[in-house]
Amino acid sequence: MSAIFDEIREAVIDGDEDLAIELAERVIEEKLDLVEAIEKGYISGIEEVGASWKAGEAFLPDVMMAADAMKSGMSLLEAELARTGGEEHEDKGKIVLGTVEGDIHDIGKNIVGALLTAAGFKVYDIGIDQKAEDFIKKADEVGATVLGASSLLTTTMRSQGELIEYLEEKGIRDKYKVIIGGGPTSKKWSEEIKADGWAETADEAVDLCRELLG
Amino acid sequence: MLPKFNILTEEQVQAIHENTMKIMEEVGVEFSYDPAVEVFKKNGQKVEGHRVFFDRKFVEEMVAKAPAQFVLHARNPENNLVCGGENTIYMPGYGAPFIHDANGKRRNATLNDYDNFVKLAGASKNLHMTGGNVVEPQDVPDEIRHLKMLYSHITNSDKCFMGSSSGYEKAKDVIELTAILHGGLDVIKEKPALSCLVNSVTPLKFDDRMLGGLMAYAEYGQPMVIASLVMSGSTGPASLAGALSVQNSEVLAGITLTQCINPGTPVIYGSTSAITDMASGSLSIGNPECSLFTSASAQMARFYGVPSRGGGGLTDSKIADTQAGYESMMTLLGASTTGINFVLHSAGILQYYMAMSYEKFMVDDEIAGMVGRYIRGMDFTEEKLAFDVIKAVGPGGHYLTQKHTRKNFKVEFFRPQLSDRQSYDGWENGELDANARATQRWQDVLENYTPPALDEKVKAEIDAFIEKRISELKK
Repeated sequence: MSAIFDEIREAVIDGDEDLAIELAERVIEEKLDLVEAIEKGYISGIEEVGASWKAGEAFLPDVMMAADAMKSGMSLLEAELARTGGEEHEDKGKIVLGTVEGDIHDIGKNIVGALLTAAGFKVYDIGIDQKAEDFIKKADEVGATVLGASSLLTTTMRSQGELIEYLEEKGIRDKYKVIIGGGPTSKKWSEEIKADGWAETADEAVDLCRELLG
Repeated sequence: MLPKFNILTEEQVQAIHENTMKIMEEVGVEFSYDPAVEVFKKNGQKVEGHRVFFDRKFVEEMVAKAPAQFVLHARNPENNLVCGGENTIYMPGYGAPFIHDANGKRRNATLNDYDNFVKLAGASKNLHMTGGNVVEPQDVPDEIRHLKMLYSHITNSDKCFMGSSSGYEKAKDVIELTAILHGGLDVIKEKPALSCLVNSVTPLKFDDRMLGGLMAYAEYGQPMVIASLVMSGSTGPASLAGALSVQNSEVLAGITLTQCINPGTPVIYGSTSAITDMASGSLSIGNPECSLFTSASAQMARFYGVPSRGGGGLTDSKIADTQAGYESMMTLLGASTTGINFVLHSAGILQYYMAMSYEKFMVDDEIAGMVGRYIRGMDFTEEKLAFDVIKAVGPGGHYLTQKHTRKNFKVEFFRPQLSDRQSYDGWENGELDANARATQRWQDVLENYTPPALDEKVKAEIDAFIEKRISELKK
């Protein structure tokens, strides 16, 4: 039985999304322990990749593909857990990630998402060109308190501030931590719009989330 | 002049061309700008939404209409430039939002920096143009920036310059300003005097802003660099041949559009393709792969019969240090020896196009002088073979007091303006390293620079145009 958990672990490390899904389906079919499959398979695999990244041995395609494989496989098991009323797997914290309204750039955001996933956070990526409402909607749906807003253009940075203004207007600013990032952003900008944090690189974003959710 | 060498075999050039035609036919290129899509429809290309699937014969025919070389006209005709053939044109960096100062601090670039770099390029013996968008002057509102930048080029130097391509309206403004400088739109249509940079959005897209600019320049027959920056590994394949094929498809798609709008419009095949740093995801340009892309691009441009743009003094270093020096030398030498004609970013660039440095500018200016001398090659006249003087001196003598020596060393030897060739004791007097000497030098050049006088009447007309446009745009 533990053989399949090792296989899952390897599939994640290899970044083999198809196999990671196939193995999740097998776990469900054979009625194996779902939480054990998550922890000994998917989480264990991504932790290994995260450690290699920290050691400078893994590179972006390794981490990003591993994160994709892990998320796709694990989401099937989580759905099954929810369906059967099982205990939810415990993560290190939930983060909603998106590119702000008017901006369609997503490479940097995807890198941040992958590294956060590899660090054990549960990431909900809502995609590009997202309004303030969309961030809140997702956060409330999944119970996340950290909102990560990305922007690559000087012309769309404004939307990061608007996200915070929106929270203030609705009187729900205290419920969330808003962190920002992207090419033209800076610490100064994050202070100006009263964000809860800013990171220049994906690694710094992981440290920031550890601080906020630790 | 040194013969420019090829890095690809004829078969390899053909393979890239074939792969490109397949990409253009089967994958297509997306143009977000409706007027551009209309042009392709009118020319019988298959269009689905905004994606254009090209017919290879059509692309080949259109690209063949672009001239192999052309003259860029300056307000001082002595500074006219031939773009194409064996020529190499150097100019400053383009588009950096930050300045890295000698005190180690990074700050936002301003219009004052803009003027300074234009003046330094104007004063340089090694840079042929003052370039364009030499920094992003962040103290000037975006809607009028293009006017202020062009004004700097017009008033601070009489060398050729580039203008905004940021949308149709801004492009039209700078074209009209250049027309005033040269005596009318008809004049510059005959004698192109303005060039610009049009970038694709890799992979395989062009956006509204750039396409608007492209259409304006094409309508008025002004030259354009159609450039692609593939980040091999993230916005393009991690294999160099694959990334080069993506780049080639984008550039040919852009060139095809220019020739549909105005056949014979001068275009320059541009490449800034490089690699992705796989640990951070950032662009990385100071490396051998970037040089290979650059050299291959020069060759693809020769294959298509158009001038080429690529390379420069490129580096990933954040400061003007040793890394900045060795990376810049590689990328400028590589571009120049393999036949790139138009070298944007020859001087000043740091941190993959993010910052400009005055010190780096002076170091790069020196590198440009060295490389310029290198590609000039050896002169082989009878006098240069120097048999008579060799005979006169004979075995065991010296050449220091020969007329031949006195006459020739000045033209044969490159005279450094920054490098230190003194004895140890001589150097020890000031103990200045290259950066400290560079600081002294740029300050000295700026202090002693007098911009070439501009005809009062022309200047008044230009001032009036800019004033009018600013009041309209600020509404």
